[in-house]
Amino acid sequence: MPNTPIVEIENLTKTFKGADEAAVKGVSFSIKKNEVFGLLGPNGAGKTTIISILCGIFPPSSGKVMIDGKNLHGDITDIKQIIGVVPQDIALYPTLTARENLEFYGAMYGLSGKDLKDKISLWLEKLGLSKAANRKIETFSGGMKRRINLIASILHQPKILFLDEPTVGVDVQSRNVIIEHLKELNQQGTTIIYTSHHLEEAENFCTQIAIIDYGQILTQGSPKELIANTPDCSDLEDVFLSLTKRKLRD
Amino acid sequence: MKNKLWATIKKETLILIRDKIGLSILFLMPMILILVMTLIQDSAFKTINEKGIPIVLVDNDHDTLGVSIKKGLEQSSLCFLQDSIDGKLATSELAEKAVSEGKFLIGIVIPKGATEAIRNNVSLLVNETMMLDSTQTEQQVSTSDSVNIILYIDPVTKKSFITSITSNLHEFISVVKTQIMFQTFSQQIAEIMPDSSQAPKNSYAKSQIINYKEVYASDLIGEIVPNAVQHNVPAWTIFAMFFIVIPLAGNIMKEKKEGSVFRLHTMPSSYLLLVNGKIIVYVIVCMLQFLLMLSVGLYILPLFGLPMLQLGNSLMAIFTVALATSFAATGFGVMVGTLASSEQQGAILGSLSILLLSALGGIWVPTYIMPEVMRKISTLSPLNWALEGFYKLFFRGSGVTGILIESLKLMLFFVLTMGISSVINRVKRKI
Repeated sequence: MPNTPIVEIENLTKTFKGADEAAVKGVSFSIKKNEVFGLLGPNGAGKTTIISILCGIFPPSSGKVMIDGKNLHGDITDIKQIIGVVPQDIALYPTLTARENLEFYGAMYGLSGKDLKDKISLWLEKLGLSKAANRKIETFSGGMKRRINLIASILHQPKILFLDEPTVGVDVQSRNVIIEHLKELNQQGTTIIYTSHHLEEAENFCTQIAIIDYGQILTQGSPKELIANTPDCSDLEDVFLSLTKRKLRD
Repeated sequence: MKNKLWATIKKETLILIRDKIGLSILFLMPMILILVMTLIQDSAFKTINEKGIPIVLVDNDHDTLGVSIKKGLEQSSLCFLQDSIDGKLATSELAEKAVSEGKFLIGIVIPKGATEAIRNNVSLLVNETMMLDSTQTEQQVSTSDSVNIILYIDPVTKKSFITSITSNLHEFISVVKTQIMFQTFSQQIAEIMPDSSQAPKNSYAKSQIINYKEVYASDLIGEIVPNAVQHNVPAWTIFAMFFIVIPLAGNIMKEKKEGSVFRLHTMPSSYLLLVNGKIIVYVIVCMLQFLLMLSVGLYILPLFGLPMLQLGNSLMAIFTVALATSFAATGFGVMVGTLASSEQQGAILGSLSILLLSALGGIWVPTYIMPEVMRKISTLSPLNWALEGFYKLFFRGSGVTGILIESLKLMLFFVLTMGISSVINRVKRKI
């Protein structure tokens, strides 16, 4: 049922301790199954805060979040079984090899034995890292680290994959490989929730986009709809600048 | 769950064995520390206990008292006695100068005529006792009662050494006085009763009726004499085991900094499981440290001419205290790592707290020489509980039942630190 919402957010608010202003202010939206949902916005807009709440890193101040029919507040352990998170930072152990990192993270998702080994070999092969499998992460280039960072989150074939700027700081080749395989995952049934500053990449990759600024959703729709509905805009970057203005952000 | 725990243990082990500097801190540094500290303390120990306190004696008396003091001090294991300085016979001036230059800790000058003064003094007392000439006695006792033996003392000398030497001198003087008194009595009685067979024999005065024997209050067969090895091996092993706080806290901080903790929090694994993996690995490391340090005490220190570590009566009891200490140290490391906000903060907090707890716990100096207030505070240090446990085993020959209280305290400390870590972690995540 592709039109069924897999993520439903109602009036989500987050105010950090000691902060004057809320980082997320009463945000509501829903994401349908099998969508590639782009959450775009300038630095400090609230993208990472929303993703962190959805992944169970910290609780919201108020609001309701349902993921795959389960309430985030009470069923966080069940929700964690079906999600994968690709963090903005390279969350890998530098002194462990690529394979050792993947074996550890795979085990944390409950994978083991031959199944885990086969999945690791498959994804290393797909992302062109088979030869580097037994090298320590600290010897990898930025692009290679990003690819391992992605594999560590998809070994368990999650229903929902959260990607927080997965292609930041990587070369075009690595970026293309990452996006190509994310599309493949999406075709296999994984819903993708994605944040990025690469607007061209988002325009080509996402089926739905929400532009967020100052903790609020400014607009939402397919890339084509957003471009068509915003006057004098020919691409997503124009839409983005038109809505978020050109003022520099902290 | 078992698979996840095993994966965590494997990950922690791999990270640890690839951290060469961390490993050297954990294993090599404590070995060097034990060796150096024991050699230093052992030489100090030998200076006092084997060679003795360096003393120069100036005997201007050349009579019974001088001979008796010289003989007595020479026989005493407390002293290393010399009567010459740089090849010259010691004089009062030379002795004072030598002590002031630190060549000797104490200089003893027995004045000329000291024995004669005692004789006169005793004669007058005996005469008074036998009522030979009471008026003369009263006057002369008051004027010739004292013999001034001069002691030159290096200001660095411990008060306890000075007390020991003066006690010995008092004893020698008393013995000489008693001997002279008997001699004088014998002579007087011989004069009154010409039949000398009825006069008291001097041999009575020489016989020692009450002796003393040093016995260490310990269950150990053969008695273990306290030495630098028996103190330093357990003390610095405990210190090293607790120093695991620094690499462990650093490991926790690195995981936070490198983003692994963020990723792990998004996974279906509990914080407790992740921490349990660390605890198991670091407790094993602590036990390995302990075994290594015991081996140093048993096999390496004797190669340097030091006494071999005596393990006491119960290997099971040693294992119990070591395991409880390992848990306490690991729990403390987890707490510091959870509490700190950066690697530097963790390293400073960890090292300073261990230095403080070890100083309080009696690792650096024994608690019995601390002021009473500090002695009371020292009982709050987990390092003190561990040290007390090992003292009971290595000095007093206790078994498992003897160290249960210390082991229990250490395990409770572990539970407490884990509880605090859990609370801190929850508070920090509720941002």
